Amino acid sequence: MSSNTPLDLLKLNLDERIHVKLRGARSMTGTLQAFDSHCNIVLSDAVETIYELKDDGELQSNERSSEMVFVRGDSVTLITTPEDE
Amino acid sequence: MSFFGFDPSMPPKQAQQHSKNNNNSETLDFEETYKGYGEYDQEEGDYLNEETFGGNVELGTDFDFGNGSNQQSQPQQQPSHEQAHRSYVQAASSGVQPTNLDANVDLKPMESLWSGNVNTSSPVPVQIPLQGQPQQQHVLSMEEIERQQRQMQQFNGAPGGPVTNGNNQNAQFMPPQGFMQGQYPGQFIPQQFPNMYHHPGPFYQQGPMAVPPPPPHVQQQSVPPQQVQQVQQQHVQQQHLPPSPQDQNVQTNNSHLPSPMLEHELGKSPQPILRQSQSPMPPTLQELAPQGQTSNQVPIQNQQQQQPSRQQQQRQPMPQQNRREPLSPEEQKRLQIRHAKVEKILKHAGLMTPRDKDFITRYQLSQIVTEDPYNEDFYFQVYKIIQRGGIVGESNKGLIARAYLEHSGHRLGGRYKRADIALQRMQSQVEKAVTVAKERPQKKNEDSLNAGNATGRDGVLGKVSTSMNSKAPRRQLTIPLSTSRSGSTLTDEDGELRRNSTAGALQEVAESLGNVDLNNKTRARRRSSYAFTSIDQNSVLTRSGGRKFVLSLIETVYEEVLELEANLRSGKEINNKELWSALHIDDEVYEVSPYISMLSFDKGVKIMPRIFNFLDKEQKLKLLQTFFSELSHLNIIIISSYKTNPTPTDAQLKKIDLFQTVFLKIIVSFLSNSSNFIEIMSLLLHLIKNNNVSFISTSKIGLNLITVLISRAALIRQDSNRSSVLSTPEISTWNEIYDKLFTALESKIANVFPPKEYIDTIIEVSQPKNVSPATCYYDQAYIWQFLASLALSGKLNHQRIIIDEVRDEIFGTITQAESLKEHLQQEVNSDSNNSTINSDEIMYRREKLYQDLNLFLNVMGLVSRDGEISELK
Repeated sequence: MSSNTPLDLLKLNLDERIHVKLRGARSMTGTLQAFDSHCNIVLSDAVETIYELKDDGELQSNERSSEMVFVRGDSVTLITTPEDE
Repeated sequence: MSFFGFDPSMPPKQAQQHSKNNNNSETLDFEETYKGYGEYDQEEGDYLNEETFGGNVELGTDFDFGNGSNQQSQPQQQPSHEQAHRSYVQAASSGVQPTNLDANVDLKPMESLWSGNVNTSSPVPVQIPLQGQPQQQHVLSMEEIERQQRQMQQFNGAPGGPVTNGNNQNAQFMPPQGFMQGQYPGQFIPQQFPNMYHHPGPFYQQGPMAVPPPPPHVQQQSVPPQQVQQVQQQHVQQQHLPPSPQDQNVQTNNSHLPSPMLEHELGKSPQPILRQSQSPMPPTLQELAPQGQTSNQVPIQNQQQQQPSRQQQQRQPMPQQNRREPLSPEEQKRLQIRHAKVEKILKHAGLMTPRDKDFITRYQLSQIVTEDPYNEDFYFQVYKIIQRGGIVGESNKGLIARAYLEHSGHRLGGRYKRADIALQRMQSQVEKAVTVAKERPQKKNEDSLNAGNATGRDGVLGKVSTSMNSKAPRRQLTIPLSTSRSGSTLTDEDGELRRNSTAGALQEVAESLGNVDLNNKTRARRRSSYAFTSIDQNSVLTRSGGRKFVLSLIETVYEEVLELEANLRSGKEINNKELWSALHIDDEVYEVSPYISMLSFDKGVKIMPRIFNFLDKEQKLKLLQTFFSELSHLNIIIISSYKTNPTPTDAQLKKIDLFQTVFLKIIVSFLSNSSNFIEIMSLLLHLIKNNNVSFISTSKIGLNLITVLISRAALIRQDSNRSSVLSTPEISTWNEIYDKLFTALESKIANVFPPKEYIDTIIEVSQPKNVSPATCYYDQAYIWQFLASLALSGKLNHQRIIIDEVRDEIFGTITQAESLKEHLQQEVNSDSNNSTINSDEIMYRREKLYQDLNLFLNVMGLVSRDGEISELK
């Protein structure tokens, strides 16, 4: 199978853990279940991390996990394999 | 024609006639009788007349050739000696002619040829009575031999031969040529014949004109035209060609053997006569073989001198040899030597047919052929040009210079604008230069830096060269040994994350395994599973083509499986070729089979059952063989081994679970449904041979796999004990394999039990929230199953060793079971509320512990109950 387009690369990672960076200082890590050409993504066992910059300059992050989540493609800025795991 | 001249001192023809008739009574002056006609070489044609016309005179061995030999010796220095000699012979033969009409000498040679006698002298029967000559040793020349062989080969295709033969035997009056008979009614008058015979050249050479219409009786003789043509052609050649150096040799030889020579010539004589009847046929043979061995004598000589000539080969009459006079001892000796030589040559003659020779020639030529002849055959090209334009006497220098420039000059491919070639050549030159330049610093680096890796890989994949030819062949791949890899992967940044968890365990494993792993690194065994680089999943993936490659393979496999399933549903034909190739089972390119790497992804494991649906038994077996061979590379083994992964994560445990439920199920069903004893043994052998068994046995999955194999084998063995299906060699093989397996495990059997910390970790990770630790336990059933099947297949001493090694575990399990009982009693005593919930569970656990333990103990006829071990009743 040839991976000619970027989305073909994404296809290779179906059923694999991926890390998605989103607008609004958020990122998600989860198992890629589905995607489409708009980069709409369905993740399972996903953990969403929301970063927040406090007034005193401290970076605070909150996590939220969900069994299955749909991520709208227009908010996706980056998809990669998770750094660990 | 006068070119050859005629030696007037030669004895007259009549003298020869007389000498033959009167048996050397006298010799006559040549001039008297011959009147100088002998000047013309046409004379040569009539010296067989005597045989032709049936002269009665016996062609004895005792002719007086005193004059003849003198004559011959004289002309040796003269260019015309041959002709002179010939005319002398003619004289002799013509004299005999009138009385010797019966002789059909000329045709005999052909007979012997066609009769296929190669080595023996085989005198023609007709000749013997006529001439009364003793049969002599017949020495064949190379030409004769080849000719005979060729004739043998062409025998069917050459009608002329048999016809000739028939002519020889049937028609005693030989010459079918109308010319002779028609022209010479008075054959008995010797004078007349030579006169006519030596008719001046121009007229004579126009054969057809000279030939008078054949009388009817000649036609009745049914002369084969082919024969006539043959002889004609040969003779024509004789007429036209000047004497060659070979002829000189001939003459020399003649002088040595005067009398035999003459005999030969006499034998030859009919052919010259035939010449007279030249037909309009062109002398094709002459054109074919321009070597110029054309005289009558040459063929004779060839028999002794091995001069290659096709015509001679065809016409050389064997009887000539037969009629040779007895030789002097010296000559006989010489002949014998020659004979021996020829025999030697003959021994291997005919081994190769002309076609064989052609083939070899073609083959040799094909080696020479190049794509770029203008450069490879440069000298030939120049030579060709010089030849083409060259005029004798003209200075060649200019030509050579021009030719050279045309091909190499003009910077862009010479005169013919062969720019492509010029470019090619330039490129290849540049390449060569670069290569040389590269190799030099490489050597330096290797010396000084010890590394040499960066440069060492230059050209490893061969040159992408436009001039890939014999001069610049593809270079051998020199794959850098992975010695540094195994060490580096654990220490470089990639491995850093894992190092904390694995490095310690790694050492431990390495220690427990002795130096096995170290040895294997140096052994550089391909696909060896010993190397602990497999612990690093990235490394495994890299060695099997990379993560992306493996993932894409999985996608391909999915696509294929989906297609096959669609075909199955629609009832179409199913062809799993694509699927099989996508699995890369047979792929030897990668250090680790991509298939093994596929199994490190969940989706790769999940698709396996669907893949198995479309594989035939052979493929399944092959797949499993690969699987067992490279078990140590299998990610799941690494994960599930307490040594390499002492702190498994929840995700990893799930993975193990998935693998067990999906893949182990496939293997079990395959083994129990369709595999026979030998296949199971081969799988086990693959496992033992290519893996570190004791390491694999530390992983749950690995232990399960081994258990599956040996228990299945044990089952088959038990079954077949009843039906006695297994042959003795099978059983002995099995014993061997089992011994190997046992040897690999011996003294490490206790290692199959994971340490308590590992069990605790697993319990901790996997335990559901809000459940008391007591209710969670690590199921060790698989270990007891393994020990049970191991003991089942082993002999008594094996079982003893097993018990010895796991004794602690046995008692530990019993103690644990008993402690559970106590624990239960305590709980009942202390808290009655909780006990109702837990007591069943604890009782069940205790039962389970005993059950598992007894699984193993029962094999040896033991049973443990209530903290005691007793014999099984």
